[in-house]
Amino acid sequence: MIKTQEHAEHGICVIDPVVERLTAANATGFKEEVFGLIDSKHDRLVIDLTGVSFIDSSGIGALVGLLKRVGARGEVVLCGLSGNVQQMFKITRMDRVFSSYPGRDAAVAALAERVG
Amino acid sequence: MYDELVSVEGLRQEEPLGVVVADDDALQRAYTSAVLRKLGYTPIDAANGTEALELIRGGAAQILVCDLDMPGIDGHELAREVRRDSGDNYIHILMLTAQNQGHERELALEAGVDDFMAKPLDTASLTARMRSAGRLLQRERQLATRNRILAEAKEQIEADLRAAADAQRRLLPAAHSRVGGCAFHSAFMPSHILSGDMFGYFPLGDGLTGFYAVDVAGHGVHASLMSVALGHLLTADYFRAHVFDAVGNPDPAELVRALNARFYTDDGTEYFTMFAGILDETSDTLHFCQAGYPSPCIMTPAGASRRVGDGGFPVALLSSATFESGEISLSEGEFLALYSDGATEAEDPAGRAFGDEGLAQVLNASTTDPAAIPGKLVDALNCWRETRPLDDDLTVLVCERIAAP
Repeated sequence: MIKTQEHAEHGICVIDPVVERLTAANATGFKEEVFGLIDSKHDRLVIDLTGVSFIDSSGIGALVGLLKRVGARGEVVLCGLSGNVQQMFKITRMDRVFSSYPGRDAAVAALAERVG
Repeated sequence: MYDELVSVEGLRQEEPLGVVVADDDALQRAYTSAVLRKLGYTPIDAANGTEALELIRGGAAQILVCDLDMPGIDGHELAREVRRDSGDNYIHILMLTAQNQGHERELALEAGVDDFMAKPLDTASLTARMRSAGRLLQRERQLATRNRILAEAKEQIEADLRAAADAQRRLLPAAHSRVGGCAFHSAFMPSHILSGDMFGYFPLGDGLTGFYAVDVAGHGVHASLMSVALGHLLTADYFRAHVFDAVGNPDPAELVRALNARFYTDDGTEYFTMFAGILDETSDTLHFCQAGYPSPCIMTPAGASRRVGDGGFPVALLSSATFESGEISLSEGEFLALYSDGATEAEDPAGRAFGDEGLAQVLNASTTDPAAIPGKLVDALNCWRETRPLDDDLTVLVCERIAAP
Protein backbone atom coordinates (compact mmCIF):
# COMPACT_ATOMS: atom_id res chain seq x y z
CA MET A 1 0.00 0.00 0.00
CA ILE A 2 1.65 3.21 -1.14
CA LYS A 3 1.79 6.35 0.99
CA THR A 4 1.24 9.71 -0.61
CA GLN A 5 1.89 13.30 0.34
CA GLU A 6 0.39 16.09 -1.72
CA HIS A 7 1.90 19.51 -2.31
CA ALA A 8 -1.26 21.18 -3.50
CA GLU A 9 0.22 24.55 -4.45
CA HIS A 10 2.27 22.93 -7.22
CA GLY A 11 0.03 19.95 -7.91
CA ILE A 12 2.86 17.62 -6.93
CA CYS A 13 2.31 14.26 -5.30
CA VAL A 14 5.12 12.44 -3.48
CA ILE A 15 4.75 8.68 -3.41
CA ASP A 16 6.43 6.26 -1.05
CA PRO A 17 6.07 2.67 -2.28
CA VAL A 18 6.52 1.47 1.34
CA VAL A 19 8.41 -1.63 0.26
CA GLU A 20 12.00 -2.56 0.88
CA ARG A 21 12.22 -4.47 -2.37
CA LEU A 22 10.44 -3.41 -5.53
CA THR A 23 10.38 -6.70 -7.45
CA ALA A 24 8.29 -9.07 -9.56
CA ALA A 25 6.43 -9.91 -6.33
CA ASN A 26 4.92 -6.44 -5.84
CA ALA A 27 5.80 -4.25 -8.84
CA THR A 28 2.45 -4.74 -10.59
CA GLY A 29 0.48 -3.88 -7.44
CA PHE A 30 2.57 -0.75 -6.95
CA LYS A 31 2.11 0.29 -10.57
CA GLU A 32 -1.66 -0.23 -10.45
CA GLU A 33 -1.95 1.89 -7.31
CA VAL A 34 -0.03 4.76 -8.86
CA PHE A 35 -2.03 4.37 -12.09
CA GLY A 36 -5.08 5.04 -9.91
CA LEU A 37 -3.51 8.32 -8.80
CA ILE A 38 -2.50 9.29 -12.33
CA ASP A 39 -6.00 8.60 -13.60
CA SER A 40 -7.37 10.91 -10.90
CA LYS A 41 -5.40 13.79 -12.42
CA HIS A 42 -2.16 13.50 -10.48
CA ASP A 43 0.49 13.84 -13.13
CA ARG A 44 3.41 15.47 -11.37
CA LEU A 45 4.88 12.69 -9.32
CA VAL A 46 7.91 12.22 -7.11
CA ILE A 47 8.62 8.55 -6.33
CA ASP A 48 10.56 8.46 -3.09
CA LEU A 49 12.77 5.36 -3.14
CA THR A 50 14.56 6.15 0.14
CA GLY A 51 13.16 3.02 1.75
CA VAL A 52 13.81 0.78 -1.25
CA SER A 53 17.09 -1.13 -0.98
CA PHE A 54 16.61 -3.36 -4.01
CA ILE A 55 14.87 -3.08 -7.36
CA ASP A 56 14.72 -5.77 -10.05
CA SER A 57 13.80 -5.65 -13.74
CA SER A 58 10.07 -5.86 -12.93
CA GLY A 59 10.48 -2.85 -10.62
CA ILE A 60 12.20 -0.93 -13.42
CA GLY A 61 9.39 -1.98 -15.74
CA ALA A 62 6.82 -0.58 -13.29
CA LEU A 63 8.59 2.80 -13.06
CA VAL A 64 8.82 3.08 -16.84
CA GLY A 65 5.13 2.10 -16.98
CA LEU A 66 4.35 5.16 -14.81
CA LEU A 67 6.38 7.37 -17.10
CA LYS A 68 4.47 6.09 -20.12
CA ARG A 69 1.10 6.54 -18.41
CA VAL A 70 1.84 10.14 -17.41
CA GLY A 71 3.17 10.83 -20.90
CA ALA A 72 3.62 14.39 -22.07
CA ARG A 73 1.06 15.85 -19.70
CA GLY A 74 3.17 15.45 -16.59
CA GLU A 75 6.40 14.31 -15.04
CA VAL A 76 7.77 11.50 -12.94
CA VAL A 77 10.97 12.10 -10.99
CA LEU A 78 12.71 10.01 -8.36
CA CYS A 79 14.51 10.66 -5.14
CA GLY A 80 16.47 8.77 -2.49
CA LEU A 81 18.19 6.18 -4.68
CA SER A 82 20.32 3.84 -2.59
CA GLY A 83 23.61 2.37 -3.87
CA ASN A 84 22.02 -0.84 -5.11
CA VAL A 85 19.20 0.93 -6.89
CA GLN A 86 21.63 3.42 -8.41
CA GLN A 87 23.75 0.56 -9.72
CA MET A 88 20.68 -1.01 -11.36
CA PHE A 89 19.76 2.37 -12.87
CA LYS A 90 23.24 2.80 -14.26
CA ILE A 91 23.47 -0.65 -15.85
CA THR A 92 20.03 -0.23 -17.51
CA ARG A 93 20.64 3.47 -18.34
CA MET A 94 17.52 4.43 -16.41
CA ASP A 95 19.67 7.22 -14.94
CA ARG A 96 19.23 8.85 -18.36
CA VAL A 97 15.48 8.33 -18.39
CA PHE A 98 14.58 9.56 -14.91
CA SER A 99 15.69 12.73 -13.17
CA SER A 100 16.62 11.89 -9.63
CA TYR A 101 17.30 13.96 -6.52
CA PRO A 102 18.91 13.25 -3.18
CA GLY A 103 15.71 13.75 -1.16
CA ARG A 104 12.02 14.65 -1.28
CA ASP A 105 12.48 18.37 -0.71
CA ALA A 106 14.99 18.73 -3.52
CA ALA A 107 12.74 16.74 -5.84
CA VAL A 108 9.63 18.77 -5.00
CA ALA A 109 11.58 22.05 -5.32
CA ALA A 110 12.93 21.02 -8.71
CA LEU A 111 9.50 20.02 -9.98
CA ALA A 112 7.94 23.23 -8.58
CA GLU A 113 10.52 25.33 -10.40
CA ARG A 114 9.71 23.67 -13.69
CA VAL A 115 6.14 25.02 -13.44
CA GLY A 116 7.37 28.55 -13.94
CA MET B 1 -11.10 -31.85 -14.58
CA TYR B 2 -12.15 -28.29 -13.77
CA ASP B 3 -15.77 -29.17 -14.55
CA GLU B 4 -15.55 -31.84 -11.90
CA LEU B 5 -14.52 -29.17 -9.42
CA VAL B 6 -17.71 -27.23 -10.03
CA SER B 7 -19.99 -30.23 -9.73
CA VAL B 8 -18.66 -31.07 -6.27
CA GLU B 9 -21.19 -28.60 -4.90
CA GLY B 10 -23.95 -30.93 -5.95
CA LEU B 11 -22.09 -33.93 -4.59
CA ARG B 12 -24.35 -36.96 -4.53
CA GLN B 13 -25.07 -38.47 -1.15
CA GLU B 14 -22.32 -41.02 -1.01
CA GLU B 15 -22.48 -44.37 0.79
CA PRO B 16 -24.23 -44.04 4.18
CA LEU B 17 -22.09 -43.00 7.12
CA GLY B 18 -20.99 -45.86 9.38
CA VAL B 19 -21.59 -45.49 13.11
CA VAL B 20 -19.82 -47.38 15.88
CA VAL B 21 -21.94 -47.69 19.03
CA ALA B 22 -19.72 -48.29 22.05
CA ASP B 23 -21.50 -49.17 25.27
CA ASP B 24 -20.88 -51.88 27.84
CA ASP B 25 -24.63 -51.97 28.58
CA ALA B 26 -26.09 -54.38 25.99
CA LEU B 27 -29.61 -53.05 26.41
CA GLN B 28 -28.59 -49.41 25.95
CA ARG B 29 -26.51 -50.45 22.91
CA ALA B 30 -29.44 -52.30 21.34
CA TYR B 31 -31.71 -49.31 21.87
CA THR B 32 -29.25 -46.80 20.39
CA SER B 33 -28.60 -49.09 17.41
CA ALA B 34 -32.30 -49.52 16.78
CA VAL B 35 -32.83 -45.76 16.65
CA LEU B 36 -29.83 -45.34 14.34
CA ARG B 37 -31.09 -48.04 12.01
CA LYS B 38 -34.41 -46.27 11.80
CA LEU B 39 -32.55 -43.08 10.85
CA GLY B 40 -30.93 -44.92 7.96
CA TYR B 41 -27.48 -45.57 9.44
CA THR B 42 -25.68 -48.90 9.73
CA PRO B 43 -24.63 -49.20 13.36
CA ILE B 44 -21.80 -51.50 14.40
CA ASP B 45 -21.81 -52.61 18.02
CA ALA B 46 -18.78 -52.48 20.29
CA ALA B 47 -19.05 -53.88 23.82
CA ASN B 48 -16.15 -51.83 25.14
CA GLY B 49 -13.65 -49.09 24.30
CA THR B 50 -10.99 -51.41 22.91
CA GLU B 51 -13.38 -52.99 20.43
CA ALA B 52 -14.63 -49.56 19.40
CA LEU B 53 -11.09 -48.29 18.82
CA GLU B 54 -10.25 -51.28 16.63
CA LEU B 55 -13.38 -50.73 14.54
CA ILE B 56 -12.62 -47.02 14.11
CA ARG B 57 -8.99 -47.70 13.23
CA GLY B 58 -10.18 -50.26 10.70
CA GLY B 59 -12.13 -47.49 8.97
CA ALA B 60 -15.55 -48.94 9.80
CA ALA B 61 -17.16 -45.64 10.72
CA GLN B 62 -17.06 -41.85 10.58
CA ILE B 63 -19.25 -41.40 13.67
CA LEU B 64 -18.68 -42.79 17.14
CA VAL B 65 -21.49 -42.89 19.71
CA CYS B 66 -19.96 -43.89 23.02
CA ASP B 67 -20.80 -44.12 26.66
CA LEU B 68 -18.65 -42.17 29.10
CA ASP B 69 -18.49 -44.90 31.70
CA MET B 70 -17.08 -48.11 30.34
CA PRO B 71 -14.76 -50.61 31.98
CA GLY B 72 -11.22 -50.66 30.52
CA ILE B 73 -10.87 -47.79 28.07
CA ASP B 74 -13.52 -45.27 29.09
CA GLY B 75 -15.11 -42.60 26.90
CA HIS B 76 -12.38 -39.97 27.60
CA GLU B 77 -9.56 -42.35 26.81
CA LEU B 78 -11.34 -43.62 23.70
CA ALA B 79 -11.81 -40.04 22.41
CA ARG B 80 -8.17 -39.19 23.07
CA GLU B 81 -6.99 -42.30 21.20
CA VAL B 82 -9.23 -41.58 18.23
CA ARG B 83 -7.96 -37.99 18.06
CA ARG B 84 -4.36 -39.11 18.39
CA ASP B 85 -4.72 -41.20 15.23
CA SER B 86 -5.83 -38.11 13.27
CA GLY B 87 -5.90 -39.67 9.84
CA ASP B 88 -7.40 -38.00 6.76
CA ASN B 89 -10.95 -38.57 7.95
CA TYR B 90 -12.40 -36.73 10.89
CA ILE B 91 -14.32 -38.99 13.30
CA HIS B 92 -17.31 -37.26 14.83
CA ILE B 93 -17.69 -38.33 18.48
CA LEU B 94 -21.00 -38.19 20.38
CA MET B 95 -20.90 -39.07 24.07
CA LEU B 96 -23.60 -40.35 26.38
CA THR B 97 -23.31 -38.95 29.89
CA ALA B 98 -25.46 -39.00 32.99
CA GLN B 99 -27.38 -35.81 33.87
CA ASN B 100 -25.05 -34.87 36.72
CA GLN B 101 -21.76 -35.25 34.85
CA GLY B 102 -21.22 -31.57 33.96
CA HIS B 103 -17.54 -31.53 34.86
CA GLU B 104 -16.96 -34.76 32.97
CA ARG B 105 -18.29 -33.03 29.87
CA GLU B 106 -15.57 -30.38 30.06
CA LEU B 107 -12.94 -33.07 30.31
CA ALA B 108 -14.57 -34.90 27.41
CA LEU B 109 -14.49 -31.79 25.24
CA GLU B 110 -10.77 -31.49 25.91
CA ALA B 111 -10.32 -35.15 25.07
CA GLY B 112 -11.87 -34.46 21.66
CA VAL B 113 -15.58 -35.24 22.02
CA ASP B 114 -17.80 -33.18 19.71
CA ASP B 115 -21.23 -33.37 21.35
CA PHE B 116 -23.14 -34.91 24.24
CA MET B 117 -26.42 -36.60 24.96
CA ALA B 118 -27.90 -37.12 28.38
CA LYS B 119 -29.13 -40.46 29.65
CA PRO B 120 -31.76 -41.71 29.34
CA LEU B 121 -31.31 -41.33 25.62
CA ASP B 122 -34.38 -40.13 23.75
CA THR B 123 -34.95 -40.54 20.04
CA ALA B 124 -35.40 -36.83 19.33
CA SER B 125 -32.05 -35.76 20.76
CA LEU B 126 -30.16 -38.60 19.06
CA THR B 127 -31.85 -37.76 15.74
CA ALA B 128 -30.95 -34.09 16.01
CA ARG B 129 -27.31 -34.79 16.85
CA MET B 130 -26.89 -37.42 14.15
CA ARG B 131 -28.28 -35.00 11.56
CA SER B 132 -25.84 -32.35 12.72
CA ALA B 133 -22.93 -34.80 12.63
CA GLY B 134 -24.04 -36.01 9.19
CA ARG B 135 -24.07 -32.46 7.84
CA LEU B 136 -20.56 -31.78 9.09
CA LEU B 137 -19.19 -35.04 7.74
CA GLN B 138 -20.88 -34.49 4.40
CA ARG B 139 -19.28 -31.06 4.24
CA GLU B 140 -15.94 -32.55 5.12
CA ARG B 141 -16.28 -35.10 2.34
CA GLN B 142 -17.01 -32.33 -0.12
CA LEU B 143 -13.94 -30.41 0.99
CA ALA B 144 -11.80 -33.54 0.83
CA THR B 145 -13.02 -34.21 -2.70
CA ARG B 146 -12.37 -30.64 -3.70
CA ASN B 147 -8.87 -30.77 -2.21
CA ARG B 148 -8.14 -33.95 -4.11
CA ILE B 149 -9.30 -32.39 -7.38
CA LEU B 150 -7.23 -29.27 -6.74
CA ALA B 151 -4.18 -31.38 -5.95
CA GLU B 152 -4.72 -33.31 -9.18
CA ALA B 153 -5.16 -30.09 -11.14
CA LYS B 154 -1.96 -28.69 -9.63
CA GLU B 155 -0.12 -31.87 -10.51
CA GLN B 156 -1.43 -31.65 -14.06
CA ILE B 157 -0.35 -28.01 -14.39
CA GLU B 158 3.11 -28.80 -13.03
CA ALA B 159 3.43 -31.76 -15.38
CA ASP B 160 2.60 -29.39 -18.26
CA LEU B 161 5.15 -26.87 -16.98
CA ARG B 162 7.81 -29.56 -16.76
CA ALA B 163 7.06 -30.61 -20.32
CA ALA B 164 7.38 -26.96 -21.37
CA ALA B 165 10.64 -26.71 -19.42
CA ASP B 166 11.99 -29.74 -21.30
CA ALA B 167 11.07 -28.07 -24.58
CA GLN B 168 12.82 -24.91 -23.40
CA ARG B 169 15.93 -26.82 -22.40
CA ARG B 170 16.09 -28.48 -25.81
CA LEU B 171 16.51 -25.03 -27.36
CA LEU B 172 19.75 -24.58 -25.44
CA PRO B 173 23.15 -25.70 -26.66
CA ALA B 174 25.00 -28.49 -24.84
CA ALA B 175 26.63 -27.60 -21.52
CA HIS B 176 30.04 -27.76 -23.17
CA SER B 177 30.75 -27.35 -26.85
CA ARG B 178 33.25 -26.01 -29.28
CA VAL B 179 32.65 -23.37 -31.96
CA GLY B 180 35.70 -22.47 -34.02
CA GLY B 181 38.48 -21.39 -31.68
CA CYS B 182 36.10 -21.03 -28.72
CA ALA B 183 34.92 -23.45 -26.10
CA PHE B 184 31.58 -22.59 -24.53
CA HIS B 185 30.56 -23.79 -21.07
CA SER B 186 27.19 -23.07 -19.56
CA ALA B 187 24.70 -23.62 -16.78
CA PHE B 188 20.99 -22.86 -16.87
CA MET B 189 18.80 -22.99 -13.77
CA PRO B 190 15.16 -21.85 -13.74
CA SER B 191 13.93 -20.45 -10.42
CA HIS B 192 10.67 -22.37 -10.80
CA ILE B 193 10.51 -25.03 -13.54
CA LEU B 194 10.46 -22.55 -16.44
CA SER B 195 13.02 -19.81 -17.04
CA GLY B 196 12.85 -16.31 -18.49
CA ASP B 197 16.47 -16.66 -19.57
CA MET B 198 17.82 -17.85 -22.90
CA PHE B 199 21.21 -18.00 -24.57
CA GLY B 200 22.91 -19.35 -27.67
CA TYR B 201 26.03 -19.23 -29.81
CA PHE B 202 26.92 -20.13 -33.40
CA PRO B 203 29.65 -19.85 -36.00
CA LEU B 204 29.05 -16.97 -38.42
CA GLY B 205 31.88 -17.79 -40.82
CA ASP B 206 35.13 -15.90 -41.55
CA GLY B 207 36.47 -16.57 -38.07
CA LEU B 208 33.46 -14.92 -36.45
CA THR B 209 31.44 -16.45 -33.63
CA GLY B 210 28.15 -14.95 -32.44
CA PHE B 211 26.61 -15.43 -29.02
CA TYR B 212 23.93 -13.89 -26.86
CA ALA B 213 22.21 -14.13 -23.50
CA VAL B 214 18.79 -12.66 -22.66
CA ASP B 215 16.93 -12.24 -19.41
CA VAL B 216 13.22 -11.45 -19.74
CA ALA B 217 11.91 -9.19 -16.95
CA GLY B 218 9.98 -11.18 -14.36
CA HIS B 219 9.96 -14.95 -14.32
CA GLY B 220 7.60 -17.90 -14.64
CA VAL B 221 5.37 -18.81 -17.58
CA HIS B 222 4.99 -15.25 -18.86
CA ALA B 223 8.70 -14.59 -19.10
CA SER B 224 9.52 -18.07 -20.38
CA LEU B 225 7.18 -17.75 -23.38
CA MET B 226 9.07 -14.62 -24.41
CA SER B 227 12.45 -16.26 -23.78
CA VAL B 228 11.48 -19.28 -25.91
CA ALA B 229 10.23 -16.96 -28.67
CA LEU B 230 13.62 -15.22 -28.58
CA GLY B 231 15.41 -18.57 -28.57
CA HIS B 232 13.63 -19.51 -31.79
CA LEU B 233 14.22 -16.13 -33.39
CA LEU B 234 17.89 -15.72 -32.58
CA THR B 235 19.50 -18.18 -34.97
CA ALA B 236 22.78 -18.00 -36.85
CA ASP B 237 20.82 -16.76 -39.88
CA TYR B 238 19.18 -14.00 -37.86
CA PHE B 239 22.58 -12.98 -36.55
CA ARG B 240 24.10 -12.94 -40.04
CA ALA B 241 21.19 -10.86 -41.31
CA HIS B 242 21.30 -8.23 -38.56
CA VAL B 243 24.66 -8.11 -36.92
CA PHE B 244 26.75 -6.27 -39.52
CA ASP B 245 26.77 -2.61 -40.39
CA ALA B 246 26.36 -1.23 -43.91
CA VAL B 247 29.96 -2.01 -44.87
CA GLY B 248 29.96 -5.47 -43.33
CA ASN B 249 31.72 -4.83 -40.04
CA PRO B 250 30.42 -6.55 -36.91
CA ASP B 251 27.90 -4.24 -35.19
CA PRO B 252 25.83 -6.17 -32.63
CA ALA B 253 23.93 -3.00 -31.70
CA GLU B 254 22.24 -3.31 -35.12
CA LEU B 255 20.76 -6.62 -34.04
CA VAL B 256 19.62 -5.19 -30.72
CA ARG B 257 17.99 -2.23 -32.51
CA ALA B 258 16.14 -4.67 -34.74
CA LEU B 259 14.89 -6.54 -31.68
CA ASN B 260 13.84 -3.32 -29.95
CA ALA B 261 11.85 -2.29 -33.01
CA ARG B 262 10.28 -5.73 -33.25
CA PHE B 263 9.31 -6.21 -29.61
CA TYR B 264 8.50 -2.70 -28.38
CA THR B 265 4.81 -1.82 -28.15
CA ASP B 266 3.32 1.35 -26.65
CA ASP B 267 1.06 -0.56 -24.28
CA GLY B 268 3.44 -3.46 -23.69
CA THR B 269 4.96 -4.29 -20.32
CA GLU B 270 7.31 -7.08 -21.38
CA TYR B 271 10.94 -6.34 -22.01
CA PHE B 272 14.29 -8.03 -21.67
CA THR B 273 17.93 -7.35 -21.05
CA MET B 274 20.52 -8.76 -23.39
CA PHE B 275 24.17 -9.16 -24.13
CA ALA B 276 25.06 -9.81 -27.76
CA GLY B 277 28.62 -10.54 -28.80
CA ILE B 278 30.57 -11.19 -31.98
CA LEU B 279 34.02 -12.59 -31.47
CA ASP B 280 36.48 -11.96 -34.28
CA GLU B 281 39.21 -14.56 -33.83
CA THR B 282 41.46 -13.05 -36.47
CA SER B 283 41.76 -9.77 -34.56
CA ASP B 284 41.17 -11.10 -31.03
CA THR B 285 38.34 -8.60 -30.74
CA LEU B 286 35.01 -8.96 -29.05
CA HIS B 287 32.31 -6.70 -30.53
CA PHE B 288 29.46 -6.42 -28.10
CA CYS B 289 26.23 -4.66 -27.31
CA GLN B 290 25.20 -4.56 -23.69
CA ALA B 291 21.47 -3.94 -23.32
CA GLY B 292 20.83 -3.74 -19.58
CA TYR B 293 22.49 -7.12 -19.02
CA PRO B 294 25.10 -7.29 -16.23
CA SER B 295 28.65 -6.48 -17.34
CA PRO B 296 30.47 -9.75 -18.07
CA CYS B 297 34.00 -10.35 -16.86
CA ILE B 298 37.08 -11.15 -18.93
CA MET B 299 39.68 -13.16 -17.05
CA THR B 300 43.26 -13.91 -17.98
CA PRO B 301 44.98 -17.18 -17.03
CA ALA B 302 47.11 -15.15 -14.60
CA GLY B 303 43.94 -14.12 -12.76
CA ALA B 304 43.66 -10.52 -13.91
CA SER B 305 40.11 -9.44 -14.74
CA ARG B 306 38.36 -6.65 -16.56
CA ARG B 307 34.70 -5.73 -16.89
CA VAL B 308 32.97 -5.47 -20.25
CA GLY B 309 30.72 -2.46 -20.81
CA ASP B 310 29.17 0.02 -18.40
CA GLY B 311 25.49 -0.50 -19.15
CA GLY B 312 22.91 0.09 -21.84
CA PHE B 313 19.17 0.37 -22.31
CA PRO B 314 17.16 -2.84 -22.05
CA VAL B 315 15.30 -4.07 -25.14
CA ALA B 316 11.59 -3.36 -25.79
CA LEU B 317 11.26 -1.05 -22.78
CA LEU B 318 11.52 2.29 -24.59
CA SER B 319 10.95 3.09 -28.25
CA SER B 320 13.50 5.89 -28.02
CA ALA B 321 16.27 3.70 -26.61
CA THR B 322 19.59 3.94 -28.40
CA PHE B 323 22.12 1.13 -28.56
CA GLU B 324 25.84 1.18 -29.09
CA SER B 325 28.37 -1.46 -30.00
CA GLY B 326 31.60 -1.62 -28.05
CA GLU B 327 34.90 -3.38 -28.62
CA ILE B 328 37.27 -5.08 -26.23
CA SER B 329 40.15 -7.48 -26.77
CA LEU B 330 39.64 -11.13 -25.97
CA SER B 331 42.83 -13.04 -26.66
CA GLU B 332 43.75 -16.68 -26.76
CA GLY B 333 43.89 -18.17 -23.29
CA GLU B 334 41.47 -15.60 -21.91
CA PHE B 335 37.82 -16.22 -21.24
CA LEU B 336 34.63 -14.22 -20.95
CA ALA B 337 32.20 -15.06 -18.13
CA LEU B 338 28.61 -13.98 -18.62
CA TYR B 339 26.00 -14.38 -15.90
CA SER B 340 22.40 -13.26 -15.40
CA ASP B 341 21.63 -11.06 -12.40
CA GLY B 342 20.06 -14.11 -10.76
CA ALA B 343 23.65 -14.93 -9.70
CA THR B 344 24.71 -11.72 -7.99
CA GLU B 345 21.27 -10.95 -6.57
CA ALA B 346 20.84 -14.37 -4.94
CA GLU B 347 20.44 -13.82 -1.21
CA ASP B 348 21.44 -16.02 1.69
CA PRO B 349 18.88 -16.68 4.46
CA ALA B 350 20.07 -13.50 6.23
CA GLY B 351 19.24 -11.43 3.13
CA ARG B 352 22.80 -10.75 1.98
CA ALA B 353 23.32 -10.74 -1.78
CA PHE B 354 25.90 -13.10 -3.32
CA GLY B 355 27.17 -9.99 -5.09
CA ASP B 356 30.17 -9.25 -7.27
CA GLU B 357 32.40 -10.49 -4.44
CA GLY B 358 30.87 -13.96 -4.41
CA LEU B 359 31.14 -14.10 -8.17
CA ALA B 360 34.77 -12.91 -8.17
CA GLN B 361 35.68 -15.63 -5.69
CA VAL B 362 34.33 -18.36 -7.97
CA LEU B 363 36.01 -16.86 -11.04
CA ASN B 364 39.35 -16.34 -9.31
CA ALA B 365 39.39 -19.90 -8.05
CA SER B 366 39.05 -21.26 -11.61
CA THR B 367 41.14 -19.01 -13.83
CA THR B 368 42.95 -22.02 -15.28
CA ASP B 369 39.84 -24.21 -15.55
CA PRO B 370 37.07 -22.10 -17.09
CA ALA B 371 35.12 -25.23 -18.09
CA ALA B 372 34.38 -25.80 -14.41
CA ILE B 373 33.06 -22.29 -13.72
CA PRO B 374 29.34 -22.77 -14.52
CA GLY B 375 29.13 -25.86 -12.31
CA LYS B 376 31.14 -24.24 -9.53
CA LEU B 377 29.01 -21.10 -9.62
CA VAL B 378 25.83 -23.18 -9.36
CA ASP B 379 27.33 -25.06 -6.41
CA ALA B 380 28.43 -21.85 -4.71
CA LEU B 381 24.94 -20.37 -5.15
CA ASN B 382 23.26 -23.49 -3.77
CA CYS B 383 25.57 -23.25 -0.81
CA TRP B 384 24.86 -19.51 -0.40
CA ARG B 385 21.09 -20.13 -0.61
CA GLU B 386 21.46 -23.09 1.76
CA THR B 387 19.65 -25.18 -0.88
CA ARG B 388 16.57 -22.92 -1.04
CA PRO B 389 15.61 -22.51 -4.72
CA LEU B 390 16.76 -19.32 -6.45
CA ASP B 391 14.38 -16.33 -6.56
CA ASP B 392 15.41 -15.51 -10.09
CA ASP B 393 16.47 -17.52 -13.12
CA LEU B 394 20.16 -18.19 -13.56
CA THR B 395 22.28 -18.37 -16.69
CA VAL B 396 26.06 -18.74 -16.73
CA LEU B 397 27.86 -18.71 -20.05
CA VAL B 398 31.64 -18.92 -20.32
CA CYS B 399 33.32 -18.28 -23.65
CA GLU B 400 36.89 -19.54 -23.60
CA ARG B 401 39.43 -18.64 -26.28
CA ILE B 402 41.34 -21.82 -26.94
CA ALA B 403 45.03 -21.33 -27.75
CA ALA B 404 45.85 -22.36 -31.31
CA PRO B 405 47.58 -25.75 -31.48
